[in-house]
Amino acid sequence: MAAESIPLRLPWVEGRPSLKQITDDVCRPLATRPSASWLACFAVALAALSAGAAAAGYEVATGIGTWGLNKSVGWAFDITNFVFWIGIGHAGTLISAILMLFRQKWRTSISRSAEGMTIFAVMCAGLFPLLHMGRPWFAFWVFPYPNTRGPLWVNFRSPLLWDVVAISTYFTISFVFWFVGMIPDLATLRDRTAPGWRKRIYSLLSLGWDGSGRTWARYETLSLILAGLATPLVVSVHSIVSMDFATSVIPGWHTTLFPPYFVAGAVFSGFGMVMTLLIITRKVMALERYITLRHLEAMAKILLLTGSLVGFCYLTELFLAWYGGNPYERAAFWNRAMGPYAWAYWTMMTCNLFVPQLLWWRRLRTSVPLLFVVSLLVNVGMWFERFVIIVTSLHRDFLPSSWVMYKPTIIEVGILIGSFGLFFTLFLLFVQALPVIAMWEVKGVAAGEAKS
Amino acid sequence: MPETTYWRSVEELRGEPPPRPELSDLHDPAGAGESRRDFLKLMGFSIGAAALAGCTRIPERQAVPLLAQPEGTLPGVESWYATTCGGCSAGCGLLVKTRDGRPIKVEGNPHSPLSGGATCATGQATVLSLYDGQRLKGPLLHGRPASWEEADAFVASHLDTLATGGGRLALLTETIASPASRRLSEDFLRRFPGAIHAVHDPVSLAALRHANEQSFGRPVVPRFHFDRARVIVGLEADFLGTWLSPVEFARAYSRGRRLTDRNSGMSRHYQFEAGLSLTGSNADRRVAVLPSELGLVALALAGRLAARSGGGEPVPKVEPPCDPALLDTVADDLWQHRGESLVVSGLNDPAVQAVVNRINSLLGNVGKTIDLDHPSWQRQGDDGAVTALIEAMERGEVGGLLLWGVNPAYDHPQAGRFVKALARVPFKVSFAGRLDETAEHADAVCPDHHFLESWGDAEPVAGSFGLRQPVIAPLFATRSVHESLLRWMGAPADPLAHLREVWRRDVFPRQSRWAAFDDFWDHALQDGVFEPPAASTDEATPPVDRGDLAAAAASILAGHAAARAAGGLEVRLYEKVGMRDGRHANNPWLQELPDPITRVTWGNYVSVAPALAAEQGLADGDVVVLKKAGAALELPVQVQPGHARQAVSVALGYGRTRAGKVGNGVGANAFPLLAASAGGFRLEKTGRRQTLAATQLHHSMEGRPIVREATLAELARNPAAGNEERPRLETLWAEHPREGHHWGMAIDLSSCLGCGACVVACQAENNVAVVGRDEVTRGREMHWIRIDRYYQGSEDEPRTVYQPMMCQHCGNAPCETVCPVLATVHSSDGINQQVYNRCVGTRYCANNCPYKVRRFNWFQYANNDRFDYTMNGDLGRMVLNPDVVVRSRGVMEKCSLCTQRIQAGKLRAEAAGTPLADGEIRTACQQACPAEAIVFGDQADAGSEVARQQASPRFYHVLEELNTRPVVGYLTHVHNPPEKA
Repeated sequence: MAAESIPLRLPWVEGRPSLKQITDDVCRPLATRPSASWLACFAVALAALSAGAAAAGYEVATGIGTWGLNKSVGWAFDITNFVFWIGIGHAGTLISAILMLFRQKWRTSISRSAEGMTIFAVMCAGLFPLLHMGRPWFAFWVFPYPNTRGPLWVNFRSPLLWDVVAISTYFTISFVFWFVGMIPDLATLRDRTAPGWRKRIYSLLSLGWDGSGRTWARYETLSLILAGLATPLVVSVHSIVSMDFATSVIPGWHTTLFPPYFVAGAVFSGFGMVMTLLIITRKVMALERYITLRHLEAMAKILLLTGSLVGFCYLTELFLAWYGGNPYERAAFWNRAMGPYAWAYWTMMTCNLFVPQLLWWRRLRTSVPLLFVVSLLVNVGMWFERFVIIVTSLHRDFLPSSWVMYKPTIIEVGILIGSFGLFFTLFLLFVQALPVIAMWEVKGVAAGEAKS
Repeated sequence: MPETTYWRSVEELRGEPPPRPELSDLHDPAGAGESRRDFLKLMGFSIGAAALAGCTRIPERQAVPLLAQPEGTLPGVESWYATTCGGCSAGCGLLVKTRDGRPIKVEGNPHSPLSGGATCATGQATVLSLYDGQRLKGPLLHGRPASWEEADAFVASHLDTLATGGGRLALLTETIASPASRRLSEDFLRRFPGAIHAVHDPVSLAALRHANEQSFGRPVVPRFHFDRARVIVGLEADFLGTWLSPVEFARAYSRGRRLTDRNSGMSRHYQFEAGLSLTGSNADRRVAVLPSELGLVALALAGRLAARSGGGEPVPKVEPPCDPALLDTVADDLWQHRGESLVVSGLNDPAVQAVVNRINSLLGNVGKTIDLDHPSWQRQGDDGAVTALIEAMERGEVGGLLLWGVNPAYDHPQAGRFVKALARVPFKVSFAGRLDETAEHADAVCPDHHFLESWGDAEPVAGSFGLRQPVIAPLFATRSVHESLLRWMGAPADPLAHLREVWRRDVFPRQSRWAAFDDFWDHALQDGVFEPPAASTDEATPPVDRGDLAAAAASILAGHAAARAAGGLEVRLYEKVGMRDGRHANNPWLQELPDPITRVTWGNYVSVAPALAAEQGLADGDVVVLKKAGAALELPVQVQPGHARQAVSVALGYGRTRAGKVGNGVGANAFPLLAASAGGFRLEKTGRRQTLAATQLHHSMEGRPIVREATLAELARNPAAGNEERPRLETLWAEHPREGHHWGMAIDLSSCLGCGACVVACQAENNVAVVGRDEVTRGREMHWIRIDRYYQGSEDEPRTVYQPMMCQHCGNAPCETVCPVLATVHSSDGINQQVYNRCVGTRYCANNCPYKVRRFNWFQYANNDRFDYTMNGDLGRMVLNPDVVVRSRGVMEKCSLCTQRIQAGKLRAEAAGTPLADGEIRTACQQACPAEAIVFGDQADAGSEVARQQASPRFYHVLEELNTRPVVGYLTHVHNPPEKA
């Protein structure tokens, strides 16, 4: 029987590398000059970023009118991109915090890059609330700060304000988590690096790490506390983002289902993006040994689960639109599925609900090219989910006299491309400058596996 | 004579429309043909510009007070002057609001016996035309600017030649409804042997006067009393929108249909027409018939009525083009309301008018709802006389031509022929205020004042006078026509003295209240209108109808047979509400005013029936050529429910070439089609598309209870008919505490006619930006009040309902909770306020508005060359209301319930030490409404009109189940269809 040849637990690190080899493998790219493939990727990312910066600059200088919005559709690409990037930013914390609390060892190889990705995604997301304002130069008014205008406070009833709080909190915690998680590895780098400016930077960043037992003990405690702090955020951030829509009166937005629906969607899209990135990274950085097929398969299972959850939410929405008997809501969902933006709706349904169902099959789940395609489609589908929610609800709401169509302009597309440019630029800089795999954690896993 | 014309592009030089690229094409940084350098430049510029946009402040400008204040002018305090509207010849009484010496808003004069304080959209927009930078700044001689002395010398020398037999002098004018102008032109022409005075109306109604001469021996346009009619039948007469005196008619019509506590009856209105007009859309029963068949309808009605009267001249029997049972119903209805019914036709066909006269005579309406004794002085044009003048010009008999208020090179059906004939006239003077299509051929242009700069008078209906006074010193070196004519006559060039003299002689003796003329004059000038006491109240015997019905019937039948033989499509040419005959084409407020029916702005189009569109494979925006031998017109298609199938409609008044930068090249000129007989047209597809700039794209209510309706019969049985389903609104929270005023508004959908006067009034009052055709196609018009128009029923026979929609000022406003920076908040007196300078422009409020009434400043609309309409120059900005902020880009705006008027009213009351009376504060939309459909007031005051209306069983709020608790509400739309058919 084939089952006999399979050990009880497959190793998470392949080839049983020595601890030194792990360090060498992870640190190698940091010490060498960037590879040609890295340079090519970086050039593309930088070009996209520049295009986006030009588009955004033009928009800020000229007006929101450079976008395709109109009297009925006040948000479209802007908030779609915002929610999309916030969603992407969910996998990092989930992997670091929740999976850590659940003691999922497989997370160790991917947690660092996932956390990095989270931070960059939240940075991309944060751009859009700024850019979508008619007068972004007054964006600081959304912060409750003492002022001489009365003082004039912000509106604590506005979900946009809750967003400001939720996202800035999330960014802070994610950043701290990411940085604290890197301290032992930064110390390793410090110790490996020849004296010079690099060593000085690594010394500074490793905060005097000495590797003593007491340091490690405190470090573990801190990690646990941070994980405990970050865990509620995984649920809260996207719940609050969903309230931008759920607390409104617009049919298609006004849904109590939205918080869990958005959280599931966020984890789904986050894992989709992690998968995309890691499939590229393990290849480009030659880290297949540490980011193994088993990791990909584990993530695929999460994609299957969250994709199905999201799909379940889609179907629940449809059911409740019919069962609830609210004629406006019924019309809104009928319009989503059958109206002029039906193509977007069915793109979303296909990418998010139908395609992940392929992952029920182990053979498909372990095929890297297929996983890559699926992860890309998940990203596409989740972008369209937000587009569908925002645009199809707004373009036909209560009074048919205001029904219109929305068509994006090149400026909006440019800013979307620019956000990808920013994301990849930051991510590529990250993989070239910092250890992309948490060495100390992987060593723990590898050492454990070596013992068993 | 070579003219100095400056052109900015090759397209403009060649007269081609400028390329109108999509925005996305314009700013494609990666677009073809752009190099990397361009891209980097663009990027650098953009980033730099973005940084600058964020750092610069709007430059400060100083307002320096006058050292010596002109008498009666207080900074910040408005003055009101009564005058008479010059927007069309209907001569409605106006009150003009001036601030710091500038007229900024016109309102109806409540003393006016005709318009009664209402205005139309065109009238509201006239104040903007005053500040039109394309008006002539002074006289032109041979196309070059000249001084008045040079112009006068030139004209005088030619006039002397003409006076001494150097050819005949001709004066071509528009309809003159002004006693002073009439007398002056007569006096002026007296000097010249064989002088000709021809009157040209772009949209002629000469047939009506002709028929009245035949029938009653009176070549007049009668005054129609729609308020006295219980049954109204319209045959292609848009009397609520564009015909004769729409404000007067709309007011009378809605008074005859107003449902109040005391009045439970309303008139019944039938309309037979080819295209859906504003009037037809308000009819209780509308029947689509071809233009050539309208005569048959008239004949069939006349036949039925003759049968019921049991005598008189027999009417030839005809096969009616519509359901005979319906015609029986109409005839019964009319017959039951003899003497209180009214049949009108706007067709310029003497035969049809003769039959209509017979119908009204049979019904005994003449002398009751039709007043021949106090005729209207509208549409006095005589097509025959104009044609005779053109022929005389072609023969070279005309030695000099004065053009006053006319533009035949644009709006005459044979404009080309006119222009050629013009070349044979050695001496041509135009009084046009701008270098229009006709004035550019004139030897001398002696530009007239805008009517707000000049003295004048009007007598729109015999025995009803209006005075016109200047409310601002002339902006440019223009001169009133009166002054020019007086000067050229060698008389004292004082138009005021002349006007006073005319009034002293002709008007003053008709009253006995004031013994001294100066007293009389002062009062008349202050009131703006004057109506001498009626001569006698006893009714004279109505004139006997002596029209030749047999000849009329023969003419109608021959015309119908000819149209049938011609086959193809018939063309109905009509005037659009607002734009009318095209003289105001350079007025951006009117260009951007959505047509009441089609909701399309900026241009005309070919309206076709849905069945015809399906048959020919046409859709909205397909560009077609409307063709027949000798006539062709290229326009986009608009599919119009309710249109007669074998006909198309095209609006006149578009396709101006010399109107000015706003009006040039908008749409196509349909006047040449007036010359062609109606039938025999066909549509040819060009394969191109041109998006219609429509403000409403969906036309069905989708079964939602947005406009609630009932018939009069249902309402008699159940006072809450159509409004039975009122949700019970639950709330967890305590009501907001209220004290003091609580402003509210009630809009009677039954009264609202959908004309759009309120839209322009609001635009003028609240400095609402004009955004232009492209932005309207992107769905970004800025109007604070819009009129939603929905169709019900079948595509072939739709019923139309209108609903003015503006901010509903919800008590539980969805917009207020979502704004992160508290830029939209509630006032203690019930108004949802938008704080422009706090707004950061997240647009969340607009998204969350269930009524979609919030408008965002997508661009900087003031001081921006891309929006070169009203706010891009010092001149155009003079029209701005200083009480209302001009919004900058990136902020949200919306209806404020004219908060500046509320504030002013409260201050007035406080200064006077009296409590605010109900009706003292009127919003701009309410003030303009000819149908008196809008009521504003304090709903906390149980005695106020608005509170009374809100207590009506017909009252409801739109989307009230959302529990938004608006203060703006509606009364159900009631219509009065016949019980049978």
